[in-house]
Amino acid sequence: MRLLPFTKTYQGKTVLDFPGMELPAGQVCAVIGANGGGKSTLAKIVSGALPPDGGGAVLDGPCRVGYMPQHSYPFRMTVRRNLLLNADGGADSRRRAEELLERLEIGHLADRQAHRLSGGETARMALARLLMRDYGLLVLDEPTAAMDIQSTALAEELVTQYRARTGCAVLWVTHSLGQARRVADSALFLYRGQAAEQGPAAKLLTDPETAQLRQFLEFYGA
Amino acid sequence: MVTALRQAVELVLSGDHLLADIIEVTLRMSLSSSILALVLGVPLGTLLAFCSFRGRQALVVLNRTLMGLPPVVCGLICYMLFSGVGPFRHLRLMYTVRLMVIAQVLLITPLIIGNMETYAQRIAPTVRETAQGLGLPRRRAFLLLMNECRYQIFSTYLFGFSRAIAEVGAVSMVGGAIAYKTNVMTTAIMNYTNMGNFTLGVALGIILLAMSLVLNLAVSLMQGRLSG
Repeated sequence: MRLLPFTKTYQGKTVLDFPGMELPAGQVCAVIGANGGGKSTLAKIVSGALPPDGGGAVLDGPCRVGYMPQHSYPFRMTVRRNLLLNADGGADSRRRAEELLERLEIGHLADRQAHRLSGGETARMALARLLMRDYGLLVLDEPTAAMDIQSTALAEELVTQYRARTGCAVLWVTHSLGQARRVADSALFLYRGQAAEQGPAAKLLTDPETAQLRQFLEFYGA
Repeated sequence: MVTALRQAVELVLSGDHLLADIIEVTLRMSLSSSILALVLGVPLGTLLAFCSFRGRQALVVLNRTLMGLPPVVCGLICYMLFSGVGPFRHLRLMYTVRLMVIAQVLLITPLIIGNMETYAQRIAPTVRETAQGLGLPRRRAFLLLMNECRYQIFSTYLFGFSRAIAEVGAVSMVGGAIAYKTNVMTTAIMNYTNMGNFTLGVALGIILLAMSLVLNLAVSLMQGRLSG
């Protein structure tokens, strides 16, 4: 899969100038960078939630995209019904919903109203809801930001198994360099709206080429 | 004042025919117009919050302007449209409860739209983004947003009903306050006060407040039960 080049301008200022990149099936690309670097804008545009300048396509070819925004909305219904929103409602879907909830250790909350969950529980519910379907590309915008260490590990393991099963590509926006190391095959470093560096995650996170990334890694405790 | 209040209570308890008719017309007009305005205004207000298109802000401003439409101006417009010289005179709606309902709907619908739009606008971007991320069709996302606004619908309805039952300018212009036909509580209070019949005026005022209280209690109970 290939992400096509695009730009995004707000009030005359270019907030993202993306040169495009290859995103091989079954691989995870971590998007890292400081606040305001353009990570969430990239996620929104790739997922189709936000149009790029000119409104053209950003994916080279048709692809079903699943997207978990930074603030996923817990709809006013039970946790189980939230998951079944993203399914055909058959017996298989119900089984899958139960399995995903158990995997993220929120099975006991299945009949609870989703808008009454805590932040971490809401994030787990949102991830389970997203993974009810199979996608060609999964875009995750800081999916574990509200989760504790244990839930984060469960979420990472679940997504890893999901992409192994479905063969989908994953664009994973994260603030955690540790997470990028654990889950990503490749990485993209955004700096002030520019793709400052991209390449294999192992190399990018240990042997950066640009001064900006080196500084970022030092600052974030690499 | 105390005497008027005592006589008013006696009048209410006596089951006066005129009083009963005024109450019946008032309820018929207020419930019809507020429900019609709700049916029109809730989807329109939510849609205005949900959609982003060129001219959306202009529509919001236009609606806010209509929210401030003086009732007498609304009554005047209806009068010009439906009276003997108006384009809709053949409908023969002047001085009927139907035209009073139309005038009320014109007055209340912008208020309902504005109320819903203001509330839905706060959550619409997140709901839309989440639904789109799940690959749900836009129609489904809109229905989900409506569902998220369902508690707001109750308070919006109360707002609309209160406005309908308390309105006097437009309904007196197009209804004419005809006894046993189009006389509602507000127009009756005004007329009886002008005639010096304070007893009936106070009685109507007490009933008006009591009806508003009962409806508020009923809606609050329903709201509480739904939020469970």
